[in-house]
Amino acid sequence: MPLVRKPSSPTETPASDGRTVSEQLISGSDDERWAAARSTYLLQDALPLLTAALSKEPVARVREAIFTALAKIGSAESAAVTIPYLRSDDAAQRTLALDALRAMPEASAQLLPGLLKDVDADVRLLACEIARALPANDASRLLAELIGSEQNANVCAAAIEVLAETGDAESLPILDRCAARFPEEPFLAFAIQIARDRIGSR
Amino acid sequence: MSDYSKKRILVVDDAALVRTYYRSALEAHGFAVEEALNGLEGLEKVLLQPFDLVIVDVNMPQMDGVTFLHTLRAKELPISGIPALVTSTEAGIQDMAAARRAGANFYLVKPIKQETLAEYAAILCGAAR
Amino acid sequence: MDDTPQITEDEFRRLADFLYRRTGMVFTETKRYYVERRISERIVATSSQSFAGYFAYLRSEIRNEVEHLINAFTVNETYFYREDHQLACLSSDLLKERISGKRPGDTIRIWSVPCSTGEEPYSIAIWLLENWKDVDAYDIEIVGSDIDTRVIEAAVEGTFGKRALMKLSSELIERYFHELDNERWQILDDLRQSVRFSRVNLIETKETRPQGRFDVIFCRNVLIYFDDESRRVAAENLYDNLLPGGFICLGHTESMSRISPLFEVCRYSGAIVYRRPKELRA
Repeated sequence: MPLVRKPSSPTETPASDGRTVSEQLISGSDDERWAAARSTYLLQDALPLLTAALSKEPVARVREAIFTALAKIGSAESAAVTIPYLRSDDAAQRTLALDALRAMPEASAQLLPGLLKDVDADVRLLACEIARALPANDASRLLAELIGSEQNANVCAAAIEVLAETGDAESLPILDRCAARFPEEPFLAFAIQIARDRIGSR
Repeated sequence: MSDYSKKRILVVDDAALVRTYYRSALEAHGFAVEEALNGLEGLEKVLLQPFDLVIVDVNMPQMDGVTFLHTLRAKELPISGIPALVTSTEAGIQDMAAARRAGANFYLVKPIKQETLAEYAAILCGAAR
Repeated sequence: MDDTPQITEDEFRRLADFLYRRTGMVFTETKRYYVERRISERIVATSSQSFAGYFAYLRSEIRNEVEHLINAFTVNETYFYREDHQLACLSSDLLKERISGKRPGDTIRIWSVPCSTGEEPYSIAIWLLENWKDVDAYDIEIVGSDIDTRVIEAAVEGTFGKRALMKLSSELIERYFHELDNERWQILDDLRQSVRFSRVNLIETKETRPQGRFDVIFCRNVLIYFDDESRRVAAENLYDNLLPGGFICLGHTESMSRISPLFEVCRYSGAIVYRRPKELRA
C-alpha cells in the first residue's frame, strides 16, 4: 500500500543564528522579521520594539504580525500604539489598526471615549465600530452621546449602524433628534428608520 | 435564485444598513444584487459568480476597498475587467487618488443618494436606459 | 401544538445581521422558521427570558454562546468522506499544483487539524489511494492533530461505527477496514500506521511550529469559533505551517473573510480554497 511509510520526524525549525529577536525584527529577511514580530510580545521591552518596528516595516504581513503582537499584549499602551495608524492615508493601514483594536476589546474600551471625540471625522467613524464590541448598554450610551453633537453625517451613520444592534428605548429620542438635524440626508433617514424598527421591537 | 437576465451588481460594504439602502435602490431599478462585507468576501464572490459591476467601499475590515481593487485587477480576464465604483467618506480625498491608481472606474462620496447610485450603476454596467 | 415563541421580523434581521457579520452565514426570510426553532432552543438552554435577553447574552461572548449558536446551524457530525467535494478538489486540482515543483519520490505533506476521531485524515488517505493517479509516485505523509487527547487516542485506534462509514461503499469498507464483532470496523493496520497523530492547540505557536510545513491543510469548522485575537494567532500559525504556494481548506460555511487577510483567495472546481502566496524570487 503506497501510503505506508515510516512517518518522518517533524521538520526541525531552522537553528537560530545567534541574533536576538529584537535584531531580527529590524534586520532579518521577510520571514525572519515575521517570525520575530510573532515572538516579540514575550520580551520585557516589547512595546518600544514593536512601536519602532511598525514605523519602518514595509511588508504587509509583517505589519499584520506586529499588530497581532500588540493585540496579544492587549494593554491600553499597546492599543495607544495603534491609534496613529487609524489616521493613515493608506486604507490598508487603517484596516490593520482597526482590526488590531477589535482584537483587544478591553484595552480599546479604555481609549474609546477619547476616540469618539477625535478631531478627525474618519477616526470618530472608525471608533463607532470599536464600540460594537462593548456591552450593549455602554455602546449605546457612548454612541448616543456622540450622535447628540455630531455634525458629520457619515459619522452619525456609522454610529446608527451599531445602535441598530445595541440600542434600547433610551436611544430613540436621540435618533429622532438626529433625523431632524439632517433633513437633507435621505440615507440617514433610511438608517434611522431601520434602527428605530429594530430597537422598537424589544 | 439568481436572475441572469438582469445586470448583476456586487455591493461590498461592511455596514449592513448601507448595503440594504443600496440594494433597495438598485433592485428598484431592475438590477440583481449580491452583497459582501469586506474585500476578501468580495473577491470570493467575484470568483464564484459573474458580475457586471462592483460597488466597493474603502474602509472595511480584513481587506479594504483599495486592496480589493488591486487584487481584482491583478486577476485574469474577465474578472479583472469588472467595472468598479468606489465609495468613500468625504474626508478621504487621498482615497480618491488611491482608488484611481488601483483601477476604479468611478468614485462617489458618501452619503450617496439612491438616484445617484442607480444612475451611475446603470452607466457603468452599460445597462440600457 | 408548536410552542416555538415567535420572533419578530426585526429581531430575526438583527440576529441574521449579527451572524452574517460574525460568520458569513446568510439567513434569508425563507429560513425564518428554521432559525426560530434553533433560537428557541438556545433561549431555553440559556434560561433567557426573551429574545432581547438572549441577544444581549449572545453579544457578550460569555461562555462562548456564539459557538453554541453556530453549532445549532451546522452539522457537526464527523464521518468518512464528509464534504468530499474538497477531497475531489484535492486530487483533481490542488495536488497537481503542488507537484509541479516536485520530482517523483518527493514528499507531499497533508495536515488535518482538528482531526477529531480520525475520519478526516483516514478519508484523505483512502480518497487518494482510490482517486489520485499519482498516489504511488510521491511519498505522502498525512498528519492528524487535535487539542483533545481522547479523540486522538480514538483516532489512533481507528475503530468506527456504521454511521461514520455511511458514505462509503461496501467495496471501500471491505478494502480498507476489517469488521470487528460488534458492528464496528477498524481501519487496516497498514493504513492506520501510515497516518501520524499528534496533540496540538492551534493557538499555541510552540505546538504548531514543530509539525513542520505542509502542502495542504484541512482546517474545517474550528477557526470560526475563536475570538478575534485567537483567530488571528491561529491563522498566523497555519500560515507558518504552509509551504509557500500551499493550500488551506476551511469548512464549507466558513470564510477567511471573517478570519485573516494573510491568504490569497483562489477558486478550484467551483470551490473557494486559500493559498499561502508563493515566494516572489524566481
